[in-house]
Amino acid sequence: MSPVTATALWLPPLLIAWLWRPRQAAGPSAWILLIAFGALGAWALWFGLYAHPGEPASFAVWRPTVLYWTLAGIMIMGPLLGWGYPVKIILGTYFALSNREWRWINLGLATVYTILGGANLLVASEASYKDWVGFKYSCMMNLLIIVLFRLNFVWLPILADVSIYLYRRTTAAYRYLSSLF
Amino acid sequence: MPAVERKPENLVELIWPGRRSEQVMLETTGKSGGAGEIFSIDSKPGFVAKIYHATTSQAHLAQYRRKIQWMVDYKPALPQVPVEYQDIVQLAWPEALILRESRFVGFAMQKIAFDRTLELDYLLNRRQSAQEGLDADFGTLVTVSFNLASIINCLHDRRIAIVDLKPMNVKVYKAELYVSILDCDGFHIATDEFRSDAPQVTPEYLAPEFHDKAVAHPEAQDRFALATIIFRLLNYGIHPFSGVASDQYKYPPELAGRIKQGLYPYGKVAHKNVRKVPASVHEAFPDSLRELFDRAFACSGYSRPSAHEWVDALAIYASKHSGQMSPCSKGHLRFAGRPCPTCMRDALIHGAEVRRRSFLARVQAAPARTLQYVKKTLRQTHSSPFQAALAQAQFTLVQLAPPAPISTRNAIALEILWISGLLITYWWTK
Repeated sequence: MSPVTATALWLPPLLIAWLWRPRQAAGPSAWILLIAFGALGAWALWFGLYAHPGEPASFAVWRPTVLYWTLAGIMIMGPLLGWGYPVKIILGTYFALSNREWRWINLGLATVYTILGGANLLVASEASYKDWVGFKYSCMMNLLIIVLFRLNFVWLPILADVSIYLYRRTTAAYRYLSSLF
Repeated sequence: MPAVERKPENLVELIWPGRRSEQVMLETTGKSGGAGEIFSIDSKPGFVAKIYHATTSQAHLAQYRRKIQWMVDYKPALPQVPVEYQDIVQLAWPEALILRESRFVGFAMQKIAFDRTLELDYLLNRRQSAQEGLDADFGTLVTVSFNLASIINCLHDRRIAIVDLKPMNVKVYKAELYVSILDCDGFHIATDEFRSDAPQVTPEYLAPEFHDKAVAHPEAQDRFALATIIFRLLNYGIHPFSGVASDQYKYPPELAGRIKQGLYPYGKVAHKNVRKVPASVHEAFPDSLRELFDRAFACSGYSRPSAHEWVDALAIYASKHSGQMSPCSKGHLRFAGRPCPTCMRDALIHGAEVRRRSFLARVQAAPARTLQYVKKTLRQTHSSPFQAALAQAQFTLVQLAPPAPISTRNAIALEILWISGLLITYWWTK
């Protein structure tokens, strides 16, 4: 993919996101996650699409660990610094849970990410390259779980809203065109 | 009244039975058919003259003369009508030969009062017949069918067949319900002393065995046409060979083809390839009539019910005193002991319309209703307690928070960030 095509693909959605952004104030945990992902995304764009020949080959082993430990660090530091529980941003606010429950979930997810980051390095150094690749992809299961949560609780209602809006507009347009003939 | 045009060629001689002759003057009426033109006769208001076109060949005129001469001499006995209806003309039968300068040119027949009659075609459509001043209930239709069968029975008794029997050639007296058959000079005659063919046919009323060939048995043809007319009269104009083909069946588009293949879907035993027209009310007919229809359309030749059988079958329904036609709860006449065909038809027509509208409304509303249901389910905002319970039943483990009070656009903006985050995560972990 050429740099121009890549830019044409990621820039418009971000522009829309900026234009349609909520005007409510975001919490500190949301900001820190946004900044972290901005940095990780910039790295990914730079080394994945624009820089040649890309990042150093030895860094590939560290990549999952950097992500997991970054997230784990944010989740551990967030409550300590009084920024709330970042897990609320990751899972979304679909569940009416008490702060105690959120604290435990936050801690649980931070522990999982810490272990995953360490396990990645361990497997990369001890197991074969093929097994390491298998381990990496099996870790993507947590990514899939988050996608499913998001799909069920957020994307489907949005899709329903958009579909109803489009259906009404199409029906109105059909009636208008019918009245013309 | 327009001035009478007294041309010398309109002076003709009438030759009545017994060879009594009379000179009369013809007056043009402007009515013309395939074979000739109709004139009124100035001194005979009860008669009209049919003068064959000048283009008719001498050979044809000679044939016509022989036939008309025989018809004038042998008028068939017709069903008795009450004394007060003596002016009713049941057959436009030739009554006198017409000669011009001693040459045969046509014949005189009794005049049918067109203002008192309507074409039988109109009775096939209730609205049309009502507009013409005849409220065609089932009592009326059965009576008309009976009267038509009676006349044909009389003709068949004399070995005379109509052959081209069709609603257009039949008139119905609106008040008296007697029928009148036109174009008698086209009838088939097969007596011992005289024989004359009738080549004219109409495919929609032609028996299957005579398609693509001459009508070898004219009375069998009449039996088929009579049954077809009665079926259409009683079944709201639906032709006995119109139907709906089953899937994959190669159904002839025109009625003639369906008649030829015997695709009759209204039998007591259903046809395997053709279904009835949904608006048909034939199931409200009594068994005696249905059996006659089945014989008429499923059999061939002289196995079909004769006009006499039709007269016998219809007589009890045409008689007011037999009690075989009784009113339904809405006052429509129906065959005793059978469902009301009028109510059945109303239910079929209006029911189908109501169902069609309701179905269309449901189809139109379905996408929006589905989306609303999905939305309510996801947001846990069902107003119906049952649906709310049903929707909540899936999430009994964890209580869900109320939806965030943000617009769809804001939600889309957040999700773009979310998807970007997921893509970044994917890149970092792949």
